[in-house]
Amino acid sequence: MSDKPFSIDLGRLRSREKDRSSAAVERADRVGEELGFIDREPAKKRGRKPSPRTGQVHAKVLPPVADEIANEARRRGVQQGVIIEEAWDLYKNQIK
Amino acid sequence: MPTIVVASPKGGAGKSTAATILGTELAHAGAAVTMLDCDPNKSLSLWAERAPLPPRIRVLSDVGEGELVRTIKRHDLDGEIVIVDLEGIASRLVSRAISQADLVITPMRATTLDATVGVRALQLIQEEEEALDRRIPHAVVFTMTRAIRSRQHSGIETSLRDQGVDLIEPSLMERTAFSALFEFGGNLRSMSAQGNMDAAIANAEGFARAVYARLATEDAS
Repeated sequence: MSDKPFSIDLGRLRSREKDRSSAAVERADRVGEELGFIDREPAKKRGRKPSPRTGQVHAKVLPPVADEIANEARRRGVQQGVIIEEAWDLYKNQIK
Repeated sequence: MPTIVVASPKGGAGKSTAATILGTELAHAGAAVTMLDCDPNKSLSLWAERAPLPPRIRVLSDVGEGELVRTIKRHDLDGEIVIVDLEGIASRLVSRAISQADLVITPMRATTLDATVGVRALQLIQEEEEALDRRIPHAVVFTMTRAIRSRQHSGIETSLRDQGVDLIEPSLMERTAFSALFEFGGNLRSMSAQGNMDAAIANAEGFARAVYARLATEDAS
């Protein structure tokens, strides 16, 4: 280590021009892919995200059915889950 | 200010340790340093959470492929040094980061495996230089080295030198204080004594000086 304290002269360091165009990025991507440096970002998860309130994944139903459930829940002042629970009860009774 | 990319497709080569040592030493010497954590293992972010960040350091986490170039552009300004820490994997993120670098540092343990895999980063840099029609300065730093140099270390060093590879001296030695950075956060000067602190600080500062000398030379040319 030098005796002189390490001090950076900011004036000696400047930002240099670099090509940041999408064409330049594509060229870098292409060169990388040829050497095995490929896209390894995790694929985005498909489907509905869990409810922020309950952490549960929403049931996948057709949009018109979802709207009807939502409207009925709003009319009765209950959570949509209550409607689905009632529907489940009906279903269970039906198959008994 | 320069963008320094710390890249090697080999995991466990000492990328995050080298990036942290470099960032903290450059900041200690008066530079404003922005560190981009592009590693899903989030080593830099974990270090940043351990203790208040040293003065003049900022850490940005979760920088992915889509936003990397934009993020570097936003921080690649006069008065600021950008350090990019990457995952030890051959990914598109690595090739994109290299395309934006003023200096690429490839940390490498002095083992045949590290050298073999690490050389892939050097090949990529050479290919990108041709594709982008600009010189991308790059250098290798040996990490986790010991006072007594193994025959394997000497052989790898000679081989790289013969190929014209720029080797940063001093290498980063295997030191308790370096690994303790990720346990205690902060920098080597704020940390309670872990092993021989004077030697660790001298090693870290010597490494940062060597990197700074390359950046200043590049700028003058």
